[in-house]
Amino acid sequence: MLILDDVIRKFSPDVSIGTVSLEVPSGQMVGVIGRSGAGKSTLLRMINRMVDPTSGRILFEGKDVTGLKGADLRAWRRRCAMIFQQFNLIDRLDVITNVLTGRLNEVSLGRAIFKAFSPPERALAIRALDRLGMTKAALQKADTLSGGQQQRVAIARALMQEPEIILADEPIASLDPHNAKVVMDALRQINRQDGITVFCNLHTLATAKNYCDRIVGMAKGKVVFDGRPDELSDVMVHRIYGPEGLETNHPFGPDSVPVPQKTVHPATV
Amino acid sequence: MVSNPTIRLQAVTSEDINSMRQQYPRAFAKTMPERVGIYCAWALFVGIIIWLHIHFDLTPLRLVQPDPRAGALISHFFDWSKFAEWDHTAILSSMLETVAMALLGTTLATLVAVPLAFITARNVMPVFLVRFAGKRLFDVARGVDQVIWALIFISAVGLGPMAGILAIFVSDTGTLAKLFSEALENAERQPIEGVQSTGAGPLLVQRWGMLPQVLPVLISQALYFFESNTRSAAILGLVGAGGIGFELISRWNVLRYDEVAYIVVLIIVTVSIIDYVSKFVRYQFIGGPNG
Repeated sequence: MLILDDVIRKFSPDVSIGTVSLEVPSGQMVGVIGRSGAGKSTLLRMINRMVDPTSGRILFEGKDVTGLKGADLRAWRRRCAMIFQQFNLIDRLDVITNVLTGRLNEVSLGRAIFKAFSPPERALAIRALDRLGMTKAALQKADTLSGGQQQRVAIARALMQEPEIILADEPIASLDPHNAKVVMDALRQINRQDGITVFCNLHTLATAKNYCDRIVGMAKGKVVFDGRPDELSDVMVHRIYGPEGLETNHPFGPDSVPVPQKTVHPATV
Repeated sequence: MVSNPTIRLQAVTSEDINSMRQQYPRAFAKTMPERVGIYCAWALFVGIIIWLHIHFDLTPLRLVQPDPRAGALISHFFDWSKFAEWDHTAILSSMLETVAMALLGTTLATLVAVPLAFITARNVMPVFLVRFAGKRLFDVARGVDQVIWALIFISAVGLGPMAGILAIFVSDTGTLAKLFSEALENAERQPIEGVQSTGAGPLLVQRWGMLPQVLPVLISQALYFFESNTRSAAILGLVGAGGIGFELISRWNVLRYDEVAYIVVLIIVTVSIIDYVSKFVRYQFIGGPNG
């Protein structure tokens, strides 16, 4: 269970996120939707403490992670892996090394600096790549891959952390519809099969509706909707996206790809 | 379950490792010839470094047991009791002259290096011969050290700051043009295409697609060279090409080590001030640390 308890982040007197309170049971797939600047990224980054909340508490499995420092903070980041819009791979390094960086929190400093990963770690990296269908590219440089392939490598890196939560910040915003579907399918499959909580920022409504158990709608730094996808009314969509809200479901948008109808899951797993 | 195994390190068995090692040997280790090559290259490098230590008798012992005269020299350096008697006018005006030489030399070098960099960058100038000729010209300007250029210009225009400025100008035009041209070659293609697609002519494509990308690098490097040249202008003075170096060497030769130390401190202070001013100028052009 991940709990955000009255979390606020102030950037300046008139720019702030919060107050946000959420309870996310383990194994849930949560989609956070909203316009650019609504505070989705900040919310996500506060969870793994890339951004510190100004006030409020974030708890995971009953433990307060808001005040963690040093090694404890790094251990927490290992448990909540991040996926980025721009993939954030190390372009110049090969794919397998990029995936192995997912173990940096675990291996000893000496081995990590000299890239002396053990055979089981290397085997695990190949297994992670295999799961994303990327083993063939293991020895290629990351920047030779397409965006969709890079994002799959990034997910493999996240899996190497053996995370309990995956925080995905606009994972498909830079991808074409086909790759967007491949990446979202992968995230959902990881969520379903491994029981990893997925907390995913999404630009568009249809993707969130198709893939997530639960949708959190944000507008101007506040949570304005929190519920199951089928509870999201047009009125709510207006509140989240503003007057032009429904037009983001443009027939040619990235969400126009037909997605296999997911089996209905209750909001809590 | 076999096709989608859970990613847990503890779940990896030795059979898994063996089968994957067979399928993807290079993900586990480099091949034998590669490893032998790498080890040999490192062994050679380390061997050369150790041999050079022996050759130059570079042992820690010599640093631990320095010449006794070194101690006397150091104490002499910091005895500034005759501060009031030093020729402050000569020293300070030479220091200013040094800064002026560096400023003028670097500015001229930058102005000439920018256009030269454009015509020698692979992604700007398609004609190989032009790039080749330009790059060899830079090699000559760069390959000959500033001090040698100073000696050459002293014989041409006589002793004094003029020779120093020309030496800075020529050698730095070569170096800056090379660095700028590399910055241009590393620039992104997309913004250039973006400007091209609007129908802008070749000059304007470079002006708006290329220049904004490389300007921060250009400014940083030019400012660094200004600072660096203030230091090296001190050396130019040693051979008679103007600046503080002349004051320094003439005092060294008559054992006025206290004044030598003072001049060195003055150079350090001046360079620090330039560094501070440079930072300010850089922020004006390309934004501060917060953008």
